[in-house]
Amino acid sequence: MRDQISKYTGKLLADRSACADGIAFAAQDDALITAGAPELAALAGATLSRLNSLALVAARPTLPFADFLVARAGQGEECIVPQDTETRTFLHDIPFLRRKDLSGDAAPVLARLLGNRKGVIVEGVGIVAVGAITVEQAFINYSSVFHSTFVKYLQDVLVEGFRLPGEEEAFDSFRREWLRPLSASGLDFVEALSLEKEAILAEIERVGRYTVERGLVDSFFGNISAVAGERIYISQTAASLDELKGCIDPVPADNSSTTGITASSELLAHRKIYEQTGARVILHGHPKFSVVMSMLCDKKKDCAIKDCWKDCPHVRDLGGTPVVAGEIGAGGLAKRVPPVIGASGSAIVYGHGVFTLGRAGFGETFRAMVDVENFCREEYFRQLDITKA
Amino acid sequence: MFGWTGKLLHVDLTRGTCERREIPTEILHAYLGGRGLGVRLMRDYFRLGPFEPDLPLIFAVGPLCGTSSPTAARLSCVSRSPLTGTIYDCSAGGRFAWRLKAAGLDALFITGKSPAPVFLSIDPAGDHLHPAQSLWGKGVKETVAALGQYGSVTTIGPAGENGVLFANIMMGEGNSIGRGGLGAVMGAKGLKAITAQGDGVTGVADKERFDAARGDVMRLFRASPVIFGELGIAEYGTPALVDLMAQRRMAPTENFRSTFFADSGNYSGPAIRKECGARKEGCYGCPIQCKKASAAGEPLPEYETVNHFGALNGISDLHAIVKANSLCNELGLDTISAAATLSAFGEARGRFPDAAEVATLLADIAYRHDQGELLSLGSRRMAEVLGKPELSMSVKSLELPAYDPRGAYGMALAYVTSNRGGCHLRAYPISHEILRKPVPTDRFSFSGKARIIKIAEDVNAAVDSLVACKFAFFGATLEEYGELLSAVTGVEYGPESLKGIGERIYLTERFYNCGNGFDRSHDTLPRRFFEEAGSAGEGIDVHPIDRARFDEELQKYYRIRGLDEDGRFGDRNLLDELP
Repeated sequence: MRDQISKYTGKLLADRSACADGIAFAAQDDALITAGAPELAALAGATLSRLNSLALVAARPTLPFADFLVARAGQGEECIVPQDTETRTFLHDIPFLRRKDLSGDAAPVLARLLGNRKGVIVEGVGIVAVGAITVEQAFINYSSVFHSTFVKYLQDVLVEGFRLPGEEEAFDSFRREWLRPLSASGLDFVEALSLEKEAILAEIERVGRYTVERGLVDSFFGNISAVAGERIYISQTAASLDELKGCIDPVPADNSSTTGITASSELLAHRKIYEQTGARVILHGHPKFSVVMSMLCDKKKDCAIKDCWKDCPHVRDLGGTPVVAGEIGAGGLAKRVPPVIGASGSAIVYGHGVFTLGRAGFGETFRAMVDVENFCREEYFRQLDITKA
Repeated sequence: MFGWTGKLLHVDLTRGTCERREIPTEILHAYLGGRGLGVRLMRDYFRLGPFEPDLPLIFAVGPLCGTSSPTAARLSCVSRSPLTGTIYDCSAGGRFAWRLKAAGLDALFITGKSPAPVFLSIDPAGDHLHPAQSLWGKGVKETVAALGQYGSVTTIGPAGENGVLFANIMMGEGNSIGRGGLGAVMGAKGLKAITAQGDGVTGVADKERFDAARGDVMRLFRASPVIFGELGIAEYGTPALVDLMAQRRMAPTENFRSTFFADSGNYSGPAIRKECGARKEGCYGCPIQCKKASAAGEPLPEYETVNHFGALNGISDLHAIVKANSLCNELGLDTISAAATLSAFGEARGRFPDAAEVATLLADIAYRHDQGELLSLGSRRMAEVLGKPELSMSVKSLELPAYDPRGAYGMALAYVTSNRGGCHLRAYPISHEILRKPVPTDRFSFSGKARIIKIAEDVNAAVDSLVACKFAFFGATLEEYGELLSAVTGVEYGPESLKGIGERIYLTERFYNCGNGFDRSHDTLPRRFFEEAGSAGEGIDVHPIDRARFDEELQKYYRIRGLDEDGRFGDRNLLDELP
């Protein structure tokens, strides 16, 4: 398991979600092992030893947003409830421990909280997340909490402004230093994808890796596909987009084989998009600013619909990209995205992420996703600046 | 009390009495229901032989049964298996569980032996034993039809009456309490059938919380490609796995001599839909509806059944496989053990049975006629009698299902650590090794598998005690089901506390088994898997399992479980520590 710990420590560093000197893992088979920053490792080990799970990560995020959310929470509140799809579907809510409640050994109370939820925020310490059966799962849960807190904090700041000492300065630092320009430059694409299986698989693997490297997903989720004749090649469910070799399912268009039962939960959406648009390739990611902006609706106050993420029938617009509601998998997204994505080549799903398509190859798709995210980033800061002014 | 009724029906067949009794609340809180409650109720009886009259046969529902909790209209049947000699439980759906709960019961505890065949009718207005001489010898359909006026029916067929060691108890809707021969236990008691009806409602402590939790579960079902994906089990039933197992080169073929059957496409999910006009069926109130039935309403076979009557016996005719499945259902035979026993028999004599012979042999087994007398003992005893014990592909005498252990090392380990013998459902590692849920693991590696199997066994023991369907956990987790349980009962449960309950149940079962002589020597796979390779193809090599690495992981598993090197408890009396 040490190789797994090393691998996922590297991923936390690569996606810049955790501080280099603030990462620790614990894992247990017939013996408990810990690795990483000594204090965090001790906490990780002491907590995991109380749980019927295999792995745990405790890490200090590179951004202070999780701590700010805790500090902004009202007295008596014990968890935050981000509204993005990842949280709604998999995390439900994120419990937190306040700094003032951390006296003595934090492991028992952490273990109690992690006995009910996948991840916890410990104010002043970081994010602690558990992996029930793999080290990778702990990494995923950490990443999901990081993503959810990022999205919620940006939403809250836009609506409520800064409320804490030092908050605005930290946010400016995030804006100027943490955020990097997002582009597709320097990446190679096959502009006209062939129909040959090996070439398609190689290109999907490469573009999947690009998608992770450019930060267009949380942890490594999202999905990607290409159609060739009567076959859709699509990434498998729970597959790392940056490690797709051997994890791409060929699915016959006529469903004459069920080998693709392991395909992405968005297979139906991909299939419908192909049927309705004639596209060759599709990319789906969870770029953060797109997720934030998709949930911003000026009609919310007056609207009778409360479960916007699934019930909103309207097609809104973000810089020419349609925004629709719909839950993942068989939950409605597959009905609402295909009719709207053809014209613009991209679509945003409320609180979830972005679909883009390409008529010939992945270059067009990838650049479209970058453009959508850049628009949403610029629009976010434009609105924030107006609010501040 | 919410969730539970707090009542057990105690039936003494020797005396002909039925009496409703209280179940202590602390026992319900500590063991939930289903498998856990049944295992707890076996505490004073686990050393009794499977056919001793005083051995109880227990049916137990869970606290979620009777609510609209997804997949929870189920029960567990618990006793000691005549096939394996182990403590035994099986989870089953249908309508009977829901009716039993609606009749005001959490459990049914049947002991004794009736001097003449009887059936039991359960009704809030009165629980009664009735003469059933006229039903003895009847098939399942006829029995169900004859007793329909009494409510939902569960019954044995001729196989159970005649003591076939892998006889099922069949639900009226075609579901079965399968694998371990509890049908024979019921038959030995002279109990032909049980009916249940009632209109009781299971109370929910916090309706708003319940609705939210149910919404969370359903959202995860919709997000799961295995459940509601267009190629998933809601569409094609478990035969959706046929193509996948073929591609992964782990479909047991010709008594596990190989792991790929070129004609498996004949009985794949899409083929069954096309050839049989498969339509959706399912357990009461289940949103998944993974059962499939023909246009005429005949239940269609599951994945394990199509593989074992197909590849395992070298049969490619779908209609012959469907017929074999229907025959087993009618006679009350377990399809996996029946087909695997025939396959071992086929290899022993040098010829696998063809489709026509399968039908004849199944009837012979049920009536213990001719060669059926030997085959009715299951593959392990049959192979020993024939002097070829190595040809029984079983663990603790339970025939292995349709996942070749050479293609999934967690599965290999889980087959031997299972407390009921070679079963895929105790830890269900196919979920992560093949179906990538909740996350994928490397199927050709033992790394971490001892801990993973232990955790999964605990989880599934809790799931079997809720009682919920394992398939629900291709999407949801104990997080959401713990929330449902808390909302229904008003008692706080979460994933970790539920796993703790699961561990308690698992260790109790292991303790019972050790008390009956089981130890490490029984925790092993047939020799074939360590010595022969499976079928290579599509860039996949299926090697024999490394025995040294397997043994090393098994020892790790024992340490994690707190067992000694022999897989036993040493001087520890576990039962003294438990509620």
